[in-house]
Amino acid sequence: MDTLALPLATAPAADHGFIQVRQARKVYASGDKRVEALSDVSFDVARGEFIAILGPSGCGKSTLLMMCGGLESATGGEIDIAGSRMTGPRTSIGIMFQDPTLLPWKTVLQNVMFPAHVLSRPDAEYRDRARTLIDMVGLHGFENKRPHELSGGMRQRVAICRALLNDPDILLMDEPFSALDAITRDEMNEALLDIWRHYGKTALFVTHSIREAVLLADRVLVMTRRPATIVADIRVPFGRPRDISVTETPEFTRLCAELRGMIEHGGGKRDRRPGDGPVLQPGRHGGQI
Amino acid sequence: MKAMSERSLSLVLPLASAAAIAVAWQLAVQLGEIPEVILPAPSSITENLLRSLPSLLHQASVTGREALAAFALAVAAGFLGAAAISSSKILREIVYPAIVTLQLIPKVALAPLFVVFLGIDHEARITFAALLSFFPVLISTAVGLANTDLSALWLCQSLGASTWRTFWSVRVPFALPHFFSGVRISSTMAVTGVVIAEFISAREGLGFAILAAGARSQTAGAFAAIALLCVLGLALYGAVAGLERLAIRWYRG
Repeated sequence: MDTLALPLATAPAADHGFIQVRQARKVYASGDKRVEALSDVSFDVARGEFIAILGPSGCGKSTLLMMCGGLESATGGEIDIAGSRMTGPRTSIGIMFQDPTLLPWKTVLQNVMFPAHVLSRPDAEYRDRARTLIDMVGLHGFENKRPHELSGGMRQRVAICRALLNDPDILLMDEPFSALDAITRDEMNEALLDIWRHYGKTALFVTHSIREAVLLADRVLVMTRRPATIVADIRVPFGRPRDISVTETPEFTRLCAELRGMIEHGGGKRDRRPGDGPVLQPGRHGGQI
Repeated sequence: MKAMSERSLSLVLPLASAAAIAVAWQLAVQLGEIPEVILPAPSSITENLLRSLPSLLHQASVTGREALAAFALAVAAGFLGAAAISSSKILREIVYPAIVTLQLIPKVALAPLFVVFLGIDHEARITFAALLSFFPVLISTAVGLANTDLSALWLCQSLGASTWRTFWSVRVPFALPHFFSGVRISSTMAVTGVVIAEFISAREGLGFAILAAGARSQTAGAFAAIALLCVLGLALYGAVAGLERLAIRWYRG
């Protein structure tokens, strides 16, 4: 990573290395075929940082996120979170999936309470917190609705509440808004910025939208396919609190263009072989920047 | 308004078609001068049914109780079997081929053996009917459990939910519609199984009544017993469908 246009970001000294990923690898073997989903990924995240992991679909960024959540094991390398090695899921880590994954037979409130329910924790302790979270994301009055009565954006809001119920230290989000239309997506990004202002957790946010990454994150890790690894680590120069008007500044546009160039040239460092295919293949929602 | 007329239509049309068939049957028997022994007219079946109603109702209660017991056993066995199969890959490899092989045997052929194994009492007939009818519940529930939304399972895993909790909180609710489609098929097969068993070993029950009437060439009597058998099967099927509707309403909200 010697020829990057921007210098590698350096995290603040305090709580440096809250999340430490060292030479993480993931190889899927099926029969004789071995597919390297992730090769040699290393990065550090400080406590309270919001990190966007940006890359084309199929570059292994979701795999990386699930490894950080303890849902996938690493084939090689280490992942340490809060000073201890990741060996399995932890309640101090909240996860949001691409799909809201709400249980259709449960109400909004019951879905938000689900993490307490599956661990047989007393409802009373969590109900107030659940209601506060539901109010915070603007779903007041919808507590007793079922998922099929909600819009896509509302369902993801419920999923955010559920991920925050245990008051986790870290929130992992796997393209949570990629199935939403552009307008709803902007709304959700604003909502997330708002939540961030209140909760200020450490976050890893996987996305293939450059705009979303720059809007939300303190740092953007750029991933490419072949090699499935991080090719750039960019600090976003905008302060907080931040809102969507930042997207209208020339600086924002310039940074997006820079990131786009970086992705298109595979980080600008490796020779690409014929047949590698385009580095960035937008998914079905990849039309927007 | 439209919903109301659709509902009444779905009640009126089947009744009308049944009435039309009965009238056509009656006319065919009378105009075609078909002998009573070959095909009794609906009127003579009804007359026979009303005349021997007390004894037939007794037979129906025997068959009904046996069918209910067999059905309950089949549902329990099918559900437990599906839970076992879907919880362990090893168990699936061991059990599944055996169960499928068992399905390939025409089980009616096994009915006489149950007399040898379990005698000529209720137990033999209930066990046979349960064996005949558990398979649909097992297969459909296993399919339902296997089709649980994958991301929901990931969610449970990420929350640290136990296998037991995940099973009851997520997998079973997701599998409910599949489970019920198996249960519905199984309810009709349980009645069939009991009647077959009664043909072979019973001294009472509707199967026995049909056999006895047939042996004495009382075709109308046999049809009267068959009519009650239909009512019995419909009642069981209707009860299951009602339960299913309740469960799905709970599921959908």
